[in-house]
Amino acid sequence: MSIRRNLSVILTVLAISVTLYAQEFKLGSREVQVHGFGTQGFIHTDDNNWLTMNTSNAGSGAFTDFGLNMGMQIRPKLRIGGQFYDRKLGKLGNWEPLMDWAMLDYHPRPWLGFRVGKVKTVLGLFTDTQDMDFANTFALLPQSVYPIDLRDATIAHEGGDIYGKEKLPHHLGSVAYTAYGGRRADNMHSGYPYLLSSFAIYLTSYGGPVYGGDFRWNTPVSGLTVGISRLNERITGKGTVGGPVVPYQEYSKQDWTNQYYGKYAKDKFHAESEYKRYLRNQSIFNDAFGLETDVRGWYVSGDYRENNWLETGAYYSHYRISPTGSMLFGTIYPDAQLRDYDKVVTAKFTVNKYAYFKVEGHFMDGNASAQYPDGFYSNVNPKGFANNTKALVIRTGFSF
Amino acid sequence: MKRYLFALFVILGSLILVAQAQAQVIVIANSSVKTSEISKADLRDVFTGNAVSFPGGGSVAPALLKAGAVHEEFLRTYIGKNDTTFRAGWRSLVFSGQVIMPKSLDSDTAVVDFVVHNNGAIGYIGKATAHEGVKVLTVR
Repeated sequence: MSIRRNLSVILTVLAISVTLYAQEFKLGSREVQVHGFGTQGFIHTDDNNWLTMNTSNAGSGAFTDFGLNMGMQIRPKLRIGGQFYDRKLGKLGNWEPLMDWAMLDYHPRPWLGFRVGKVKTVLGLFTDTQDMDFANTFALLPQSVYPIDLRDATIAHEGGDIYGKEKLPHHLGSVAYTAYGGRRADNMHSGYPYLLSSFAIYLTSYGGPVYGGDFRWNTPVSGLTVGISRLNERITGKGTVGGPVVPYQEYSKQDWTNQYYGKYAKDKFHAESEYKRYLRNQSIFNDAFGLETDVRGWYVSGDYRENNWLETGAYYSHYRISPTGSMLFGTIYPDAQLRDYDKVVTAKFTVNKYAYFKVEGHFMDGNASAQYPDGFYSNVNPKGFANNTKALVIRTGFSF
Repeated sequence: MKRYLFALFVILGSLILVAQAQAQVIVIANSSVKTSEISKADLRDVFTGNAVSFPGGGSVAPALLKAGAVHEEFLRTYIGKNDTTFRAGWRSLVFSGQVIMPKSLDSDTAVVDFVVHNNGAIGYIGKATAHEGVKVLTVR
């Protein structure tokens, strides 16, 4: 996509934002609210192609997403809602519209609520809100913990949640909890199926039962929240290998994520930090081999609202992967393929209450291309990887 | 000496004007609401979607103003956000399925009308606006 085309798309997005407002219509005696959001991004890298796009030549604008949301309050403690989501991120998403979430929510007490249907998964600070680019200072959240190419893996589950909040006595703040269970079913245009396609493995389904929880404490220190999340999964992938007739199957023997986090907000300043460990022990190639993937990622971020139209921010994102198992046949990866240390600076410009645009610089040490995806894929880097990558990210969007 | 007195006069005058401006916003609630006062922290929780009930119990239904000086003053005094970040916070809750967006109304009188007719409703208006039939909450 040419720079002129990217510029016209960005201007179109900004123009749309001027004409869009939240809508309401009546269904019987009740009001149905309609809201939406959309973004358009452009990425240019100095070397490796990133996020399945051809970013290293003139750059790529194959970075678009949007969502449309409807909700209705049926009774004071009962509501229903749903959201469509669609995206194109390089070779991912493929404009296949998804039911992002759709659920019934019953909240009889502050400390007790129920959600049933397809529900956004609460995992750390941003998993359930990672698509709401308008609410974030950064164009890309720290990829060590929130890889945009693996969005489908943790974004939602089909099942149910129990959740609530309660104030603590003696001015000790408040606590909030979420416990959930259900099933995960990944979109086939996501990062992991795309990675396997480079080994001539073509998945047709990928998912399985999941359960977990989140517990967070709004501490007595004003603006300070700390928390912990846990996700357990049992994932099975099915498809073919090498051609259309040879069946392929893999499944996880052990599959869990732990996430620890804290955030602090004081006036115009925000700071966040999270640590995530993802461990997956798999049986692959129809039980022929074993493979263990141990991913550890963390970040520290800060942002400051300079005035009503400008926010600035920076983060350091640290990603490290340790693959082991019989499938590797003793392979020793170069260290650059096991790490991605990303230093990021960003500026967000607010156009009006509906629209914004962001300019962001990434300075990455390592490409983390070993065994499990984190932005860099051999599919779009057939000549191999350079150790370091600099990236310019421009992203604009609207919400109403 | 005259110069210092003049400067002192200007500073004191400014402080009085600021204090008066902050007193221009009042918080009102439906007469069914049991409490007659609310802490600043609880008010912030209600108007940022972090609380679904009043501290003493009972569902809460906040009403917002779309824009204007009273709205800006309310956000500055009680919420600590500008309008863009305030609405972005609500929208991220809406898009993640956690809430329905509260009513956004065009005028103070529309807010009074909404609060009068809806159990658990809470809103904010300019002090000069007629507000018969609602309860004025003291913000601690």
